[in-house]
Amino acid sequence: MDNPLNPNRKKQRIDDLAATAGTGGGAGSVAVADLTVGDAGHIAESTGVSLIASAWSRLRRDPVFLLGAFITLAFVLLAIFSPLIAPHDPTAGLLLKEVRPQTNPIPGARPGYPFGADSSGRDIFSRLIVGSRQTLIVGVMATLFGFIGGLTLGTLAGAIGGWVDSVVMRVVDVMLSIPSLLLAFSVAAIAARPSQWTVIVAIATVQVPIFARLLRGSMLAQRGSDHVLAARALGVKPSAIVFRHMLPNSLSPVIVQATLVVASAIIDAAALSFLGLGNPDDRQPEWGQMLGKAQQYIYDHPALAIWPALCIIVVALGFTLMGESLREALDPKSRR
Amino acid sequence: MTETTTGRTQPTHGERTAYDGEDVLVDVRGIKVHFPIKRGVIFDKTIGHVYAVDGVDLQIRHGETYGLVGESGCGKSTLGRAILNLEPPTAGSVTFDGVDIASLKGEDLRRKRQDIQMVFQDPMGSLDPRQSVESLLLEGMKAHGLAKDSAAANARLRELLKAVGLPVTALSKYPHEFSGGQRQRIGIARALSVNPKLIVADEPVSALDVSVQAQVINLLEDVQEEFGLTYLVIAHDLAVVRHISDRIGVMYLGALVEEAAADDLYATPLHPYTRALMSAVPVPDPLIEDRREQILLTGDLPSPSNPPTGCRFHTRCPWRQETRCDTERPELRVPDVPGVDAGQRVACHWTEQIASGEITAHPVSGEVVERVEGPDDTDFMGPASISEAL
Amino acid sequence: MTSMSASPSTHPSVHPGAGEPLLSVRDLRVTFQRQGQEPFEAVQGVSFDVRPGQTVGLVGESGCGKSVTSLAIMGLLPKHGNHVSGTVDYEGTNLLTLSDQEMRDKRGKDIAMVFQDPLSSLNPVVPIGIQVTEVLERHRGLSRKAATPVARDLLDRVGIPDPDRRLKDYPHQLSGGMRQRALIAIALACKPRLLIADEPTTALDVTIQAQILALLKELVQDTGTALVMITHDLGVIAGLCDEVNVLYGGRIVERGERHELFAQPRHPYTHGLLASIPRLDAPRGQRLQPIPGSVSDNLPWTHACAFAPRCSQPIEVCTQVMPELEEQHGRALRCHNPVEGHR
Repeated sequence: MDNPLNPNRKKQRIDDLAATAGTGGGAGSVAVADLTVGDAGHIAESTGVSLIASAWSRLRRDPVFLLGAFITLAFVLLAIFSPLIAPHDPTAGLLLKEVRPQTNPIPGARPGYPFGADSSGRDIFSRLIVGSRQTLIVGVMATLFGFIGGLTLGTLAGAIGGWVDSVVMRVVDVMLSIPSLLLAFSVAAIAARPSQWTVIVAIATVQVPIFARLLRGSMLAQRGSDHVLAARALGVKPSAIVFRHMLPNSLSPVIVQATLVVASAIIDAAALSFLGLGNPDDRQPEWGQMLGKAQQYIYDHPALAIWPALCIIVVALGFTLMGESLREALDPKSRR
Repeated sequence: MTETTTGRTQPTHGERTAYDGEDVLVDVRGIKVHFPIKRGVIFDKTIGHVYAVDGVDLQIRHGETYGLVGESGCGKSTLGRAILNLEPPTAGSVTFDGVDIASLKGEDLRRKRQDIQMVFQDPMGSLDPRQSVESLLLEGMKAHGLAKDSAAANARLRELLKAVGLPVTALSKYPHEFSGGQRQRIGIARALSVNPKLIVADEPVSALDVSVQAQVINLLEDVQEEFGLTYLVIAHDLAVVRHISDRIGVMYLGALVEEAAADDLYATPLHPYTRALMSAVPVPDPLIEDRREQILLTGDLPSPSNPPTGCRFHTRCPWRQETRCDTERPELRVPDVPGVDAGQRVACHWTEQIASGEITAHPVSGEVVERVEGPDDTDFMGPASISEAL
Repeated sequence: MTSMSASPSTHPSVHPGAGEPLLSVRDLRVTFQRQGQEPFEAVQGVSFDVRPGQTVGLVGESGCGKSVTSLAIMGLLPKHGNHVSGTVDYEGTNLLTLSDQEMRDKRGKDIAMVFQDPLSSLNPVVPIGIQVTEVLERHRGLSRKAATPVARDLLDRVGIPDPDRRLKDYPHQLSGGMRQRALIAIALACKPRLLIADEPTTALDVTIQAQILALLKELVQDTGTALVMITHDLGVIAGLCDEVNVLYGGRIVERGERHELFAQPRHPYTHGLLASIPRLDAPRGQRLQPIPGSVSDNLPWTHACAFAPRCSQPIEVCTQVMPELEEQHGRALRCHNPVEGHR
């Protein structure tokens, strides 16, 4: 809303005033008459600022968002350019000859290998860097599939209502009643051969009901809103009401949820990999899977687990910070 | 319609019945809107109904402004929406220009909406926050095929803005960048965009600041004259309704209790509820306030899900009689009171006796009504809690 | 309560506002300081007096600072992000300097408040009776047992029928009007000498509003409680208040005894407001005279009259110098070019 005492506006008005007062001279009353507003009140000449634009201008100054965005951006860039950045081939057992299964299964840090190597003699630093790519793919793809599934179900339920709503929501309720990790296990376990895609599908399945419920709730709120009633009264086509008014206005909580879900998807993927339901092929490093492999050496070589865990935490934190500040920026109540 | 475009037609004298003439634009007959109250663990069972609108007849003539007044929960907003078929009526018909709107469905109804538009109470909530003013105004025109030529559409946008007193720069702006009165102007421009014949304005000024209300009232009068519109204005503020309307219907618990030309209603309110309502409206003049006799109603508005038998108002009526009032539901009729215009209709068995002073008011003991949350209940936000205050 | 109640409201010939002020507000300023935003001065130096038994009205539109003024007097503004200055003198004590604990003792006992929305002001999970007795226990030191009949009498006093049964009711079981009565009962429980009512009838229907206003009028006359009535409705003010303060943009622009103020409004804002509202008793067919623009067109008070852009008769000085509030014969006015003559 246009704050009546917005400082810039105030300054501008004062400048206008000063100008008219200066030139007015003897014909002061005329200058003052020009100043008085029309019936409808003053409207600034500038072009309009949409909600998205004003949310963005707030986000740009939010340090929490900037930190989250920085972490996320760094992670994405790392994932894209990982083969170029990694100092060594993550699949080559370069330090294999240092591995002593009885006395020292894990080669320690040395020049060129800052975090040492794993039990197969592969450089951990390079594996962490290259692993970012798989982690990103799993996190983003799982969220995307969950988002699309939830969007479809939620839109169906929220837009059509009636028995469609009842059926969809009962299915969603059943899915929500199963603990999420258990559901993911079940889905992952059904697959004949565990792979990266079983992890993605399993995690997406868990996210579908959450997105569906969230979207349906805000669609229902939109359906009862005055502006949707106004569109109906105007004679706008029902499909246009759903896709032009209800859906876009319902999306902001869902988008916020999506950024938060990326973080939890990465953690869930790690959990599945840790439990052996992830991609068994360790030539494609992935943080969760590295964490799982580190389990047997956890007492003597905790660093092996700490590094991938730290990576997961930082990236999850990045997405969460971004999501939280997005939630605040898009919340109509926080707008002044 | 040429002779009525001024919007200030006086009711014709001498008729003994309601206006059945050919001049009628909207003819509402026996309209009812009942909302089912559903309860149930697995399957919802209908355990009762909220009788929001329970049998209303009214006629709105070309070019006039019909004011519908009543307190919250009386069903006036529901009636307004039922006339637009935004709330499908349970029974009854709404004949608009010879077509029964209440029976229309789907695409036919959508096309018909071009003729009847609505102005809402909450100017912010009724505008999609994501749409610029340009897109808001174009939407209805596109839906009814009025924006095929973009140059003509552009000219029309400018014309609309001019009509509601907004500058062209407003087109690129979004609802949150305007003040409340400016938003209501946009809402009016949107209603005008599809060239309607009737505009239903539901509490068009009650959400606005006092100093801004007059702007919007004047604007409504101006565009009525400019575009030859017919209005149904729904409001709780009797002073606003009286100012803007030619004829006024007073609603109580889902039904009309009195209908009259605006001046007649003020000069000779006949129904006990109308009298109480009139006497309760504060007037910004201490001299009048000090002198006035108030008819204070006791008790609460009965629940619309369990309306009283007979006359709906008998539980609170200071003129209630032993017979008829609690058993027989009064019909809207032209009373036999000297000096009363034929356009005035009252739903009270004892109108003549009350008017002549044969029956006088007596005290009524208050009665508390158990609350059932109905669809018309509005909750207001408050500043703080009492526990915080103490 | 009877259904027919003529309320001529003829005030006693002795002016109820005689004597030393009970509450004296001087140069009250409230500044909101939100993170990342310019500070916003909602109340910019408001001064007024309330004498025992007097009813003082604060009238203005949303954003004029009337509610913030009442919350500042009651010490109910959140400490964080708000800066309150000036003095609020209540019987020789500056309320603004009291500690939270001392202020809590004052509130409810000496000064009580009634809010706009009775539903959110009452605790939804506690019966009405307990909410009344709580106040009696806290401020009058009564036992629960002794407080119950007092609470019953209070509900009866404010016109709630069947008070014994209503004591056990929860707020949601009562209608809006009954809730507001219950709230008034709680406010009056400790016989406060000052009652602040912030838009007490705005959320109510007009027939219920008439009941509540009649009740307030009656209580003020019977108990001698001073009342500060905050509202946007000039009609409510006209029937209830002895003295009226008109606020605009966080400052008082006009003050006067109600008959004088309504008969001869001198500030163009007051004048404009009265000309812009449709009246039930006015001849029909007259066009309303609106005040153009909205509060977002205001100028800053520091360099001008905030109302100047919306004013019907501005002169050059209005946009350059802030007019001071000047007192004359019990009237106060903040205007460079006041309206002359009767309305």
